[in-house]
Amino acid sequence: MSGWSAIKLVAARDFKERIASRAFQLSTGLTVLLVVGFILVPTFIDTDGTQQWTIGVVGDVPAGLAETVEAGAGDMATVATSQFGSRAVAEAALEDGAVDIVVDAEGSIIVNAESSDQLTTLVAAVLASLDVAEQAAELGIDAAALTDLFSGTYDVESLSVEPDSTDSDRAFAFFATIILFMSIITYGSWILIGVIEEKTNRVVEVVLGTVRPHQLLTGKVLGIGILGVAQIVLIGVVAIVVLSLQDALDVPDAAGKVLVWAFIWYVLGFAFYAVAYAAAGSLVSRQEEAQNAAFPLTLMLMAAYFVASFSITGDNPVLRIASLLPMFAPMTMPLRIAGGDALAWEVAVSLILMVVVTYGLVRFAGRVYAGGLLQSGSRVKWREAFRASEA
Amino acid sequence: MLQIDSLRKTYGDVIALDGCSFTVGRGQLVGFLGPNGSGKTTTMRSVFSLVQPDSGEVRWDGMPISPAARLGFGYMPEQRGLYPRMKVAAQLVYFGRLHGLGKSEATRATLSWLERLGLGDRADSRLEELSHGNQQRIQLAAALIHEPELLILDEPFSGLDPIGVEAMIEILLERAAGGAAVVFSSHQLDLVEDLCEDVVIIAAGKVVLAGPVRELRSRSHHRYLDIEIAQPSTDLRRAFVDRDIVTVDNGRIRLRLDDGTPLEPLVRTAAGLGRVQQFSFTPPNLSEVFREVVEP
Repeated sequence: MSGWSAIKLVAARDFKERIASRAFQLSTGLTVLLVVGFILVPTFIDTDGTQQWTIGVVGDVPAGLAETVEAGAGDMATVATSQFGSRAVAEAALEDGAVDIVVDAEGSIIVNAESSDQLTTLVAAVLASLDVAEQAAELGIDAAALTDLFSGTYDVESLSVEPDSTDSDRAFAFFATIILFMSIITYGSWILIGVIEEKTNRVVEVVLGTVRPHQLLTGKVLGIGILGVAQIVLIGVVAIVVLSLQDALDVPDAAGKVLVWAFIWYVLGFAFYAVAYAAAGSLVSRQEEAQNAAFPLTLMLMAAYFVASFSITGDNPVLRIASLLPMFAPMTMPLRIAGGDALAWEVAVSLILMVVVTYGLVRFAGRVYAGGLLQSGSRVKWREAFRASEA
Repeated sequence: MLQIDSLRKTYGDVIALDGCSFTVGRGQLVGFLGPNGSGKTTTMRSVFSLVQPDSGEVRWDGMPISPAARLGFGYMPEQRGLYPRMKVAAQLVYFGRLHGLGKSEATRATLSWLERLGLGDRADSRLEELSHGNQQRIQLAAALIHEPELLILDEPFSGLDPIGVEAMIEILLERAAGGAAVVFSSHQLDLVEDLCEDVVIIAAGKVVLAGPVRELRSRSHHRYLDIEIAQPSTDLRRAFVDRDIVTVDNGRIRLRLDDGTPLEPLVRTAAGLGRVQQFSFTPPNLSEVFREVVEP
């Protein structure tokens, strides 16, 4: 049997056993539901699109109040008025929520904590302008002259006529970074736990009687990695279908290029961290120690994520350096590529370093794994595990 | 034929193997004996490259062991372990395939093993749902699923009830009769003496004795004399005070003598004590041979 068929067998077992597990099915189902929920719920809330505002009125307020407020609110709301005999009754209605705001002809606008700021501003402005119009009429100024008087002489002109497309590309790349981050956290810990399980079950000695440690490691990373990608693709497809049913799908201009790069870096980044997590898992014998063993990796991962998230607005020197280093590159380089900031040589150097270091890590982790797997009891040091094995 | 040739392995200051050498032929069932920490597990692991010896070599049919050759071996480690949540049949098929069987072959072998172990109806149970004894049976099946030509078992009898021991003996004899080379370690020396024609005894990482049990016993420099006397006139311990007494119990005494010790004086002493019911002169049994070589 060739090395590759051993790897395939190991990968298939890890894939099948996990996909058959109730926990996996539940968590996948739940995630899909959550994603659909996040997309759909805001639309359910906004189905009417417009709100209903009711203005409580005490005494004789200027005519056309409701109509003018509604015109000012645009699509936001429809407006009605409700007449009250006394201010006390109107205030009680405000407290009950029957009206949203009260206008007393004596000259007050009464609000409470529930009142919308927009409504308050709008009502105050409308009352003021109706007041001005009324007084102007009394002074003999006609409506047309009044409009002239108030029409502004300044127009707003934006310099960024077209929205910058690299912004949406960057956002897309950052979204890919988030997915990579979550994948590594989730599936990395599956790998970590899976390795420790095999160690605590002692099954690993039986398996290693036939399969080389680096084959077991590669198979495990592949099996869980493919399962992870399948889960993400499922969630992604559901999200895209739901979004496109709503016509809410907004594809960035350069999505194709950004997507390809995001995918390449996803695969490299996942491979790098997954292998490192497997090696870390081989060093401990109990699940309680899992997080300790993985702590340096988790720290590195968090650092990469933070560098990326602080740099979403644009290129900076820290991001530039990070994008060249293998442990940070998968989360930072896609951002720079999407933003058009990465020079060709930087991408090339970063890619070559990444591939070389990942290959080295597979070899190194294979040895650590081989050395660590058969040592039980106390936590094994990286160096001891490496020395203990030559496979 | 399995050849363990001059294996040396140190862990820091600890010498685990110190030039360990022995051979196991096809069709041979060899008991691999030694006190705790003498290097049995390290030797067995080095056959599967789970341990890399510092020097020396393990060969199969005269060749260093290749990964392909290793697929034809079966291994049951001392620390038993399978996947607890995996279904029994799926698990055996998996191990069969890891050993190079095709899918249908592995499935066929799995079904026949489950049938043989009386677990045909548990194919779809998770391993952890089985009793401890049945889990042990599955463990053995996992090592045998591909009909290995070399079978290495580390303490296969530990933790088995008498019925389990019987079943294990039957299977080991059957594998050896079928032409496989079989090596197993054990501390149950009486059982090994009954079961194996050949043993290898290791102490402090070195083979101290190897060969057919009968030969090893007779090659010993000691003989054992069992005397039984009905109502002895004096205390037996006092009567044989100048001899090497192994055990004494009422009218029975077991003495250890150097090979070639004249028996006549002993016969006379015994006859003087009362009516002699037993007077037997035998080579040491396997446990005595074992003790002689590991604690000189």
